[in-house]
Amino acid sequence: MVSTDADAVAIEATDLRKTYGTETALDNVSFSIESGTVYGFLGPNGAGKTTTMRLLTGLTQPTSGTVRICGAPADDRRAIASLVGYLPETPPLYEAFSAREQLDYVAELRDISSAVATERIERYLDQFDLAEDADKRISSYSKGMKQKTAFVQSVLHDPAVVLLDEPTAGLDPRAARRMRESIAEFADEGTTVFLSTHILPVVEAVADEIGVLFDGRLVTEGTPEGVKSLAETGEDGTLEDAFLAVTGEDQPIESTADQ
Amino acid sequence: MSQQRDVRHGLRIGRTEFVRSVREYFRDRRRIIGFGFVLLVFGGNTVFALPIVYGAGRAARSVTSIPYFGFVATALPVVLLLLASLRTAERIGNVDAEELILMTVHPRAAVIGLISSEIALLALWIGLPLGAVVIVFALGMGAPTLPVTAGLVLLPLFCWAAVWGYAFGIGVLRLLRWLPGLQRILKIGWAFVLIPLMFGAPFIGTSIADGSLSMGGLLAALTFEPLQSYAELAFVGTGLFHTPSIGAVAVLGILVVLTPVGLAVATGQATALWFTDDPTPAQPQRAEGSSDGFETPQPLASTGAGAIAWGHLLRAVRQPQELAHLTMILFMLGPGAAPFLRSAENVGPIIAGIGVVLATYLAGATFGLNPLGDDRPAFPLLLLTKLGPRTLVRSRVLAGLAIGVPIAVVVPLGSIVVGNPSLPAVGFAVVGCGMCLTAATFAVGIGSAYPIYEEREFWGTETVVPSTGVMMVYLFVIGPGTVIGLLLMWITLTGPVNLSLPVAIGVGVYLLLTATIPYGSYRYAVRRYRTYTVQ
Repeated sequence: MVSTDADAVAIEATDLRKTYGTETALDNVSFSIESGTVYGFLGPNGAGKTTTMRLLTGLTQPTSGTVRICGAPADDRRAIASLVGYLPETPPLYEAFSAREQLDYVAELRDISSAVATERIERYLDQFDLAEDADKRISSYSKGMKQKTAFVQSVLHDPAVVLLDEPTAGLDPRAARRMRESIAEFADEGTTVFLSTHILPVVEAVADEIGVLFDGRLVTEGTPEGVKSLAETGEDGTLEDAFLAVTGEDQPIESTADQ
Repeated sequence: MSQQRDVRHGLRIGRTEFVRSVREYFRDRRRIIGFGFVLLVFGGNTVFALPIVYGAGRAARSVTSIPYFGFVATALPVVLLLLASLRTAERIGNVDAEELILMTVHPRAAVIGLISSEIALLALWIGLPLGAVVIVFALGMGAPTLPVTAGLVLLPLFCWAAVWGYAFGIGVLRLLRWLPGLQRILKIGWAFVLIPLMFGAPFIGTSIADGSLSMGGLLAALTFEPLQSYAELAFVGTGLFHTPSIGAVAVLGILVVLTPVGLAVATGQATALWFTDDPTPAQPQRAEGSSDGFETPQPLASTGAGAIAWGHLLRAVRQPQELAHLTMILFMLGPGAAPFLRSAENVGPIIAGIGVVLATYLAGATFGLNPLGDDRPAFPLLLLTKLGPRTLVRSRVLAGLAIGVPIAVVVPLGSIVVGNPSLPAVGFAVVGCGMCLTAATFAVGIGSAYPIYEEREFWGTETVVPSTGVMMVYLFVIGPGTVIGLLLMWITLTGPVNLSLPVAIGVGVYLLLTATIPYGSYRYAVRRYRTYTVQ
């Protein structure tokens, strides 16, 4: 049963656990995100962020626990395909195509009508400064251009939930700002954005809520201000200070090295 | 409704995958030249075969009078099924841009897409020449409907083979995921299967030619009557066809029924593969590492090039998959050596000779055929060190010699045990050592001339392999060069030497080329390293 109520919970993860052999990647992670929220998902390398995102997409099955997106279980592939837009860390693009061909192809597979697809594609290409190069092969694109093209293809079908893994990686400051603005606009229109990144200022700028994953466990969750106060970072404290405090990584380098 | 949508999406994916593949084939000039070469060879063969096919069409009085008809009709489904399974296991078992496709369409659509693209590619590469053959045969027979009926007979067969081959190939991939050790065994096992095949094929050919093996009996044994009857349906509407047999109808029915079943099985298999994790831990079970620093053993430690050569050898031991291209020798050594092995009295010299050929091949092919590409992505860093280009080139020559020379010495000397006279054995070892140096220095030059940087699938391994053209040039120069050297040494040591002027000139030219071509090649490699610029 899929819920489309704007006030409903968009993403609900309950007791998610994922093991690979004897390695535990995620340990009883639970969170609930309301529609229209920008959720910043933070964590050091290897904390389990990408595993969590793949569990939310249904591309990976949890060892135990459940995921529901707008009420639909993650293994309901048809529902998830229409509800979710996913931008993985490595942009899934075909190098032999141009951006326009790639986006037309995705629009066809999403059954978006030709007129709507053309309007959306042209709008996004303009918005992300890709219009001039839209007919060049993606193999000739910079990392940032590929990232922008992949972002556009992930939101082309106007999904209820957008999962973004490091969306600003490789973007120049202008494009990164454009990306932040787009994320905010999507949230304003009621789209839920699940944003995983290392770039803390991006999260600080756009996130309504944040969750910090450390060693496979969700160690803290709340608004950016709430997390900062919880971490006792003081008046001038930043999200970076809070992140380092809750992940135990605020030790001086010398003392870490001594351990 | 959802099935129709999946078919629609699948056909779109198929069209896109087909276009992508074709663009990949013609991506750059090198690939276009390679394609032109293939077209020239195979297209030329087809064109020259067409008059014979036309004659066969004119001469056909009954289906059974068409040469090899029953055998081909029986072998075709098996070959197509194997081909589809292999292609699935090697190439299309996983989806490119999987996060996009699997988050956009149902897995069934992805399976339909990949299979339909594969059928379209098969139709392009094999269907066009096959179509030409069928049309010319039909013209010979005076049966213009034959191409159409043949297409209608082949279509269910292609669809059946494609879906079941896909299901089987995915099944193999799932099995290998559960048993990763099996994959390594299979890769090595293939080589062991190929060796008797390569050595055995010439024996079978010779046995058929001299009549000791009956071709007719062999073909009769390999013909399955119902499949032959099914293939005969292609002649409906011609004078060669009478009434359809029960076997033919049964085969058609089985193909039609099993195709959707195969699609369902393939979809189930693919979904299980794509949406479940590797059951083995993500981390390697065996923590591979080394506590010691990089310490080069003697005698390599005495020179800078030796230390780098040791690095090449160490990498080869730790990542043997990067040497997958060395399996090329199996295709040359088997057919080349098999005729000699029929004579039991010469087994000693032949073993020594094979050892020397193998040694010289390895001396150059192991580290020399793609020196610039092998070092990616550390190559720019290497060029910025104080090491001169000579040192870098020599390191590859030395590493090659470290592989080749021991074989060139041990195998000929070891052949004394199986009856090789000791003097020729020593002579062969000397030739082997000299030819190893020749091969290693020759290889670095031709390898530098045409570097390959992109990874590609080779022998089940995704790695950077030297250009096929470079490998062929190397084999065709070094192989005969080594054999001539061995023959000269054998004649010199065992037979009466009649050194006439033409023979002396020939030997002189051979020695001159053996010395100067590799030297020029080595100099070229050094110059290429010196003038290399990162593009």
